[in-house]
Amino acid sequence: MGVVLRNLQKVVPLRRARLRKDVDTLRHILGIQKFDLGVICVDNDRIQQINNTYRKKNVPTDVLSFPFYEDIRPGKLPCPHHRDELNLGDIFLGVEFVMKQCQEESLDLHGALTVVTAHGICHLLGYRHETEEDWTEMLQKENYILSEFNRLTGRHLEPLMKRCSQDR
Amino acid sequence: MLKSVVRAVGAAVRVSSLTATTARSLPSSSAKLCAPSSATARPFTRSLWMLNSSGASDRPKLFSSKVFNPSVSCGCGGLHTEGDKAFGEFLVDEIKEERKILKNKSLPKMSGGWELEMNGTEAKLIRNVSGEKITITFNVNNSIPPNFEEEAEQGEQKSADEEPEMVSTPNFVVEVTKQAAKHSLVFDCHFPEDEMSHGEGEEESDIFAIREVSFQPEGDSEWKETSYTLNTDSLDWALYDHLMDFLADRGVDNTFADELMELSTAIEHQEYIKFLEDLQGFVKCN
Repeated sequence: MGVVLRNLQKVVPLRRARLRKDVDTLRHILGIQKFDLGVICVDNDRIQQINNTYRKKNVPTDVLSFPFYEDIRPGKLPCPHHRDELNLGDIFLGVEFVMKQCQEESLDLHGALTVVTAHGICHLLGYRHETEEDWTEMLQKENYILSEFNRLTGRHLEPLMKRCSQDR
Repeated sequence: MLKSVVRAVGAAVRVSSLTATTARSLPSSSAKLCAPSSATARPFTRSLWMLNSSGASDRPKLFSSKVFNPSVSCGCGGLHTEGDKAFGEFLVDEIKEERKILKNKSLPKMSGGWELEMNGTEAKLIRNVSGEKITITFNVNNSIPPNFEEEAEQGEQKSADEEPEMVSTPNFVVEVTKQAAKHSLVFDCHFPEDEMSHGEGEEESDIFAIREVSFQPEGDSEWKETSYTLNTDSLDWALYDHLMDFLADRGVDNTFADELMELSTAIEHQEYIKFLEDLQGFVKCN
């Protein structure tokens, strides 16, 4: 199937084709093209609601990942036996939250969404940042993904975890 | 051109009184009681007519029964019964209730410089952008999806005053016409129903979606079935996203879709009240 892209919000004008292309590039870099992936764009209210429901944090955030495989080792791709299992899970992008951050830091929205999506995909692939060791491992992966992305597209994106706390 | 509008009207014929009455049963509990009777009245009437027209003159005549004599007469030549009187009284109350919940007398404005044209229950929104004409057409008939599940759930937990608001989510057709082009690019759009339920499930849809795309002769009111029609069910998603971006560039995005729902809901409500007033006048025989 591929990437199921949904835009459930009206606060941020999104370029769907660009977002899909960037997500497809990330999938190509990670070699996960055969897996389905959901990318759902929501506003602050919605992501706050989801954050509160699943993480008991009643605040908006930039990305929340819901992995299909919850216990995979970071860096090891799942080995599904059935077609239905060719699925990595869903990423909820808090596009309103990301837009506000971009406005404050004069960043390009779609570039920031790519960085945030890369972070979300890392979580779907088993990466965590709960310990220092996990954090380093995840940062390395994000560095690799984005350097490849920059090489392929000529852009200059940086990992999310250099700037943000561990609150995701 | 107006394929989805035609489809909506076709659907209205199929489910006619039952859906319409059930959808409208939300504001007033008494309206619910009327739904079954209106739904069963038609076949019964028709079978009586068939008996009468069978031409058996020596049989007892069903229509000579006193039951069918008017109980009230105003000299207009029409039938007036006690039922009509009760119906008229019911309508007075219903209209009063509906007027009470009518938010504004004027219709909500669409942002983005859209001009509204009305023809009965059909509305057109027109906008010109740099030589392109964008026309949106929708019909408020049959545009309120029945939500029985939600209705039942709400009914158990909430009082009548807190009943959910009815939202009109019509199919709508976007027609993009370029100067000097013979054909318009036409998008048949709709509001996916699972979005309406506001659920937390994984299968959530976009606020609005494109169902079909085709070229149609400019200004034709009939949908030309011989034009190639791109169905989005089995479409390359990248192409679908470009089509959505194309609409967004012309002012048809999620904000527009949201405002369209508000406008359609307001028009539908106005038309409903107008219909009730016409019905009241017809029953009363003014």
